[in-house]
Amino acid sequence: MTTPREQVRSLDDPEVMVQTPGTIYDTIPPLTPRTEREAEFYDVGDGEMLVNLGPQHPSTHGVLRVVLKIDGEKIVDLDPVMGYLHRGVEKICEHGDWHHAISNTDPLEYAASMFSESLPVLSAERLLELEVPRRAEYIRVLAWELNRISSHALFIGWLALDLGGITPILYGFGERDEIVEMLASLTGQKLLFNYMRIGGVNGDLNHDFLSRLGDWMSRAGARINDQATLMNENEIFVNRTKGLGVVSREMALQYGMSGPPLRATGVPYDVRRAHPYSVYPELEFDIPVRSDGDSYARYLLHVDEIKQSLRIIDQVLHQMPDGPVMAKLPRLLRVPPGRAFAALESPRGQYAVYAVSDGSDQPFRFRIHDPSFFNLQAVVPLTRGHLLADIMAIMASLDPIMGGIDK
Amino acid sequence: MSAATTPTPTPAGVSPLGKVVLALLAVVLAGALAFFLLWVTGVGPLAVDWIIETGDANIEILRFIAAATGVLLFTVPAAFVIIYMELKLIAQMNLRVGPDRTGPWGSLASLMAGLKVLSKEDFTPRGVDVPVYTLAPAVVFLASVMTLLVIPFAPGMAGYYMELGLLYFFAASGIGVVGLMMAGWSSFNKYSLLGGIRAAAAVISYELPLILGTFGVVLLAGTLNLGQIVENQAGWMWNWYAFQQPLALIIFFIAATAEAGRTPFDYTEADSELVAGFATEYSGMRFGFFFFAEYVNVFILSALTVTLFLGGYHTGVDIDPILGFLGVTTPVELGNIDPGSLGPWLLAIPFLVPPILVLAVSGLIWMVKSEWGIIKSLVVGFVLTNLLVGAAVSFWAIFSFEALLGLLVFFGKSFGLVALFVLMRATYPRVRIDQMANFAWKWLMPAALLNIFVTAGAIIIVREYFS
Repeated sequence: MTTPREQVRSLDDPEVMVQTPGTIYDTIPPLTPRTEREAEFYDVGDGEMLVNLGPQHPSTHGVLRVVLKIDGEKIVDLDPVMGYLHRGVEKICEHGDWHHAISNTDPLEYAASMFSESLPVLSAERLLELEVPRRAEYIRVLAWELNRISSHALFIGWLALDLGGITPILYGFGERDEIVEMLASLTGQKLLFNYMRIGGVNGDLNHDFLSRLGDWMSRAGARINDQATLMNENEIFVNRTKGLGVVSREMALQYGMSGPPLRATGVPYDVRRAHPYSVYPELEFDIPVRSDGDSYARYLLHVDEIKQSLRIIDQVLHQMPDGPVMAKLPRLLRVPPGRAFAALESPRGQYAVYAVSDGSDQPFRFRIHDPSFFNLQAVVPLTRGHLLADIMAIMASLDPIMGGIDK
Repeated sequence: MSAATTPTPTPAGVSPLGKVVLALLAVVLAGALAFFLLWVTGVGPLAVDWIIETGDANIEILRFIAAATGVLLFTVPAAFVIIYMELKLIAQMNLRVGPDRTGPWGSLASLMAGLKVLSKEDFTPRGVDVPVYTLAPAVVFLASVMTLLVIPFAPGMAGYYMELGLLYFFAASGIGVVGLMMAGWSSFNKYSLLGGIRAAAAVISYELPLILGTFGVVLLAGTLNLGQIVENQAGWMWNWYAFQQPLALIIFFIAATAEAGRTPFDYTEADSELVAGFATEYSGMRFGFFFFAEYVNVFILSALTVTLFLGGYHTGVDIDPILGFLGVTTPVELGNIDPGSLGPWLLAIPFLVPPILVLAVSGLIWMVKSEWGIIKSLVVGFVLTNLLVGAAVSFWAIFSFEALLGLLVFFGKSFGLVALFVLMRATYPRVRIDQMANFAWKWLMPAALLNIFVTAGAIIIVREYFS
């Protein structure tokens, strides 16, 4: 018999008082649930167990934390916890001028930052009603599509890595490495390019970039096929992803999903065609669509989109006009008062911004719509009832980037 | 600051080295004195006789101890070679170079990794079940190492010719999963627990097809003695059981992949799901034991596949009829060729063979190592040839030609299968645990049972009607 001792602080949680000297075997008394959902989730039943997946876990793609309630291998319920990467980017943008917003929105989508850094550019141009030189528009499209390919190649590798295959990720990184080196010779940076400017781009095409681009274009198609064949014809990979995480058309629209997860359900929504911007109306390309809505369809869609992007790059290089790459603008940029909505198709879906200007040199309000956030929401209904290994396949196929989700 | 570094006066007495020498001197003197006394009194010779007589009487036990030690020592280089092979081969598949810094072509990378693991802190986290946590790596490692004892590497070179060799093999390797469960349970970590339980689930699913797959061979061979099973496959290649039991070979190989915990069945330490599975909380050499055990397991299962299905240490070529066809009438004992029978060609051996060998080796080096000049390749080739020939000749002298050939053939086959395991790892993603259970119970088990029935039926039919 043990005599009851005085109340001491638990070693695990100093907020909690326990009777005996606290060890990690002590059950921590649960906190009072704040919402109905919390009460339901933290009511752990017989044979169930809570597991923390993340924030430092190899396959949560950043600092996402998912609390899993599992029964053996089966996931009973899950609760994604976000905000580990929150920096208040929208507020920071409101405190710098319009040019600063470009470098502040750069790290939002860190795997394809050519897209997130275009948000302040497109919205300011809309407010200014500015005519951007055509050569600058073509260079933008070139940079966007190159970055889209680098992001998609990485997606394919990540998906395979989360399923346990180690080779495709290196093929993907090989592709990405060449593109990123190429963009580095254009922009001076490998990850956060800071290349877009209000009224054009920062610097014209140079010889180093073009020679690297030509070198890569000559074998890009074959390399993408190599990587895709390694997975398409892999019985285990197909069995792991086919019929997994099926998003129906209604559900995708309900959750506000966009990009490949939406197009994999059969909705041909692509901002490049639905709300055309830049010179996309002049270019010839298809919007690939799949109807199954499962992880495999999302993967195949990415491969298709890479091929379409190669097609666009080919046309851009043939149609590239001559001329300046920057519009004439005053050094101190005062954007006229008003509201503007600008959207573009990032590798993960519709990246949009709703900007309000009060006539000063700073944005008054800068509200960013990130596609990863809306796509990631679907992970909860999709994963419930599946096995532990499936959450990786589903999450990787939704392709979230935590920089944009936590903002 | 102003005071210059004055040399500190050495304390009177002996230097640090002197202390060591003095202590050693004392030990040597004491030893010599004891030796002298033992031989003068006559106790020494008696004791030596007694030890030799006991050894003679219990030669089996001595042999077992020597074999177990040898096997334990053998696993270390084997694991290093396999790890290096894996690093290099997967790098080739991944469009990478792989290790190329330590040693020639990076061949010491795995050794250095082993030393690094050895020098790391052996950390025991709070809350673990200490005795179980400490024992688990030893159990896993020993379980896989002790199975090597019954595998015949070459004629006359098995640790122990056991009548129930195959049974012993499966019994010993079955202990490994107990170690995995111990590690998973005692680590006080939910990921480890899941890894341990997955290991148990895998064993329940895959040990059965693994063992049932070998039954066809056992029925054909009529023995569980692995040495005898290999001897049955002597002669031409079609005597190998792989050609009489192809289905069993496929079943056995798939089940062995799962048994070794290799991709596509590496769910016990699925790094993208369970962080590191049962080994999550382990560090230092305890983790090293798990790591080693995995690679030793790969080698062992390849070796068993070779032993059971691919003819063991036999080349698959029956040399006697060929010699007969060539006119060499007497069955030549390759170990006892009389060099004098060559006549004047005897002179060719010292004058022609060494230059040709040196040229061949250095040409190979020159082709692989393109930045080396011809002279450098020649020098290195000369040294290497001497070393190789010296090693081969001394090995011949010790073990006779058959043992050397058998060893080379056996290791060539085994490492070929290991390479197959490695290539599978580079190609396949992981199978989900329910898919793997489905596959084991719905496909492999019935196929293994079918194989046993068909084999048994065929044996009965052949015995009744054809003999």
